[in-house]
Amino acid sequence: MESTAPPVSEGRHLRARVVRTLRPAAFLTGPMAVLALFFLAPLIILLIMSFRYESLYGFQTGWTLDNFRALFTDPIYRGVAKDTLIIASTAMVCQLLVAFPLSYFIAFKAGRWELPLLLLLVLVDELNPIVRIYAWRMLLGREGLINDFLIWTGIIDVPLDWLLFTKFSVILVLSTSWVNYCALPIYASMKAIKPSLFEAATDLGAGWITRWRRILIPLAAPGIFVAIILVYIPLFTDFATPGLVGGTSSYMLGNSVADLMVVIGDWGAGSALSLLMLAAMAVVAVIAYFLTKLNQLD
Amino acid sequence: MSEAPVKGEIRIERITKKFGDTVAVDDVSFEIPGGEFFSMLGPSGCGKTTTLRMIAGFEDPTAGRIVLEGKDVSFVRPAKRNVNMVFQAYGLFPHMTVAQNVAFGPKIKKVPKAEIAERVEEALATVRMDALADRRPAHLSGGQQQRVALARALVNRPAALLLDEPLGALDLKLRKEMQLELKRIHATTGTTFVYVTHDQEEALTMSQRIAVMKDGLVQQVATPRELYERPANAFVAGFIGTSNVLTVRSDSVRDGLVVMDLGDGDRICAPDTGAGSGGETKIIVRPERMRVWGDPDGEGMSRVHGTIAEVVYLGSMTQLIIDLKTGERVTVHELNDDLKGALPRTGDPVVVQWAAESSFVIDDTAAVNVAADLKSPG
Repeated sequence: MESTAPPVSEGRHLRARVVRTLRPAAFLTGPMAVLALFFLAPLIILLIMSFRYESLYGFQTGWTLDNFRALFTDPIYRGVAKDTLIIASTAMVCQLLVAFPLSYFIAFKAGRWELPLLLLLVLVDELNPIVRIYAWRMLLGREGLINDFLIWTGIIDVPLDWLLFTKFSVILVLSTSWVNYCALPIYASMKAIKPSLFEAATDLGAGWITRWRRILIPLAAPGIFVAIILVYIPLFTDFATPGLVGGTSSYMLGNSVADLMVVIGDWGAGSALSLLMLAAMAVVAVIAYFLTKLNQLD
Repeated sequence: MSEAPVKGEIRIERITKKFGDTVAVDDVSFEIPGGEFFSMLGPSGCGKTTTLRMIAGFEDPTAGRIVLEGKDVSFVRPAKRNVNMVFQAYGLFPHMTVAQNVAFGPKIKKVPKAEIAERVEEALATVRMDALADRRPAHLSGGQQQRVALARALVNRPAALLLDEPLGALDLKLRKEMQLELKRIHATTGTTFVYVTHDQEEALTMSQRIAVMKDGLVQQVATPRELYERPANAFVAGFIGTSNVLTVRSDSVRDGLVVMDLGDGDRICAPDTGAGSGGETKIIVRPERMRVWGDPDGEGMSRVHGTIAEVVYLGSMTQLIIDLKTGERVTVHELNDDLKGALPRTGDPVVVQWAAESSFVIDDTAAVNVAADLKSPG
């Protein structure tokens, strides 16, 4: 045995390094190509279209800011944007009010039912949204189960007509969509909390309100922010729910995009609105991200 | 009930705790006078932690009662008991600074702000953590975190401090340091300490009295010295320190000693417990009571030939493992100061000697739940 290492050529070292660096990248080329083709490309097309104008029959084409200008000046869009903000934000708050106690229960109180409950949560929520929305229609309609029940018990004589095709129904249905995306990150951050912290707080005289306010909520905050990123965006851009259970007062920006593109055929305005919504959601995501960072324990 | 309140006094009266069909604590009774450093010692699953958690209020006793400063607190909520617990995993709040952690208790109890600041400072000074008051727990070492946990409990000025294996997560050197530190804090504050550990050395180092527990039963409650020198049964003898267990057949009885004749002048003498001629008893002799070198022959001395099986040189002393001619193997600790000449070697023939009064007879039928003969409550 030689005690000194045999000389290795520089070339072999270099090649090994290149292979080591590129190998992970090579694995990514496939997915990256798919993403570029099917996600990035349409986005770029959208971007181009939002700045294009085209006269009737395409005789004149060129670049313009008119699409965006119209969105900002037309009072209709301002009203729709306000309604969207109200509906999405209310639904977000409602979801958190449901998801937080639910996560708490699954994380700390469910015992051996923890895993089954998690699976159930995912299953229920992954139900086809159209099916779920129609189920709500059967519940909320003028001749729906709720009205029938209330009349049968004699609580009301005339069916309630604000249950369906109103802001209320849209908020209610949206509040129950994506609950798993809301609950799972909160659950995950709660799982990281040592139960001994609650015992320590109890030992120091804290009741459950203090335990939640001073221990549980601050420590679960990162999960709450992730939940907001995950859920607020689909809530804000949704158009299926207002389309199926909403009325005139619950027309949302998502519906505007759909109508502009599909019904009116104004692809320029539709693209511009889509991009504005994308930008707004990026802002929400960035804010939530920094709130999470801020809250992170070093 | 007219019981004069004694500061920091805890009485455990015939406490039983069942989890389903499992009896974790079985009719246990003992008293802890105010200001004592009291330990519950035993292997895992012996019921010591459950007993502590019942004192803290995290578990309700199935039967019996817990009296704190003359008041029955058996079913009082933990928040309403004037005791505080130090957890093995520290249980520090990771999103609060050291000072905020310590201030948590007094803040909830609505202590005036100025007084909170004062008390937090004092508590942190007691555990020598005042310099790091603004740190987050994640930036502290295990020992420092444990000190903060102590301060957080002490700041409430509890009648008793309950410690659940608080040093279990620390390395040996730090543990030794913290043991002395805990003793110092105990002396400074004068608070009753109830300490749970499975480490007999730790219990012996720190406690004024120790309850040795096994299978939910109290085996013996005594001072460290009593436990070591007069263990109530074989379990206590085996759990506290090293012990040699020998079987003694009574061949003759003279001068209050049972003598077992082994031929060649070899004999084992043990205190007579009235087992009579031909009866058998088990005795325990501590390793440091047995002599191999030196020549302390005399009346009432046991002497047995044997062969050295192992020699372990330990600096100030030497540990010898010796196979006696009775077939029993004993451990002997000899001080190297007393050694003249070379160390013996494996295989050397030796004579092991010890005085009869260094041995004690163990009786395995007695002494479980030693204090359980209290009058039943009510």
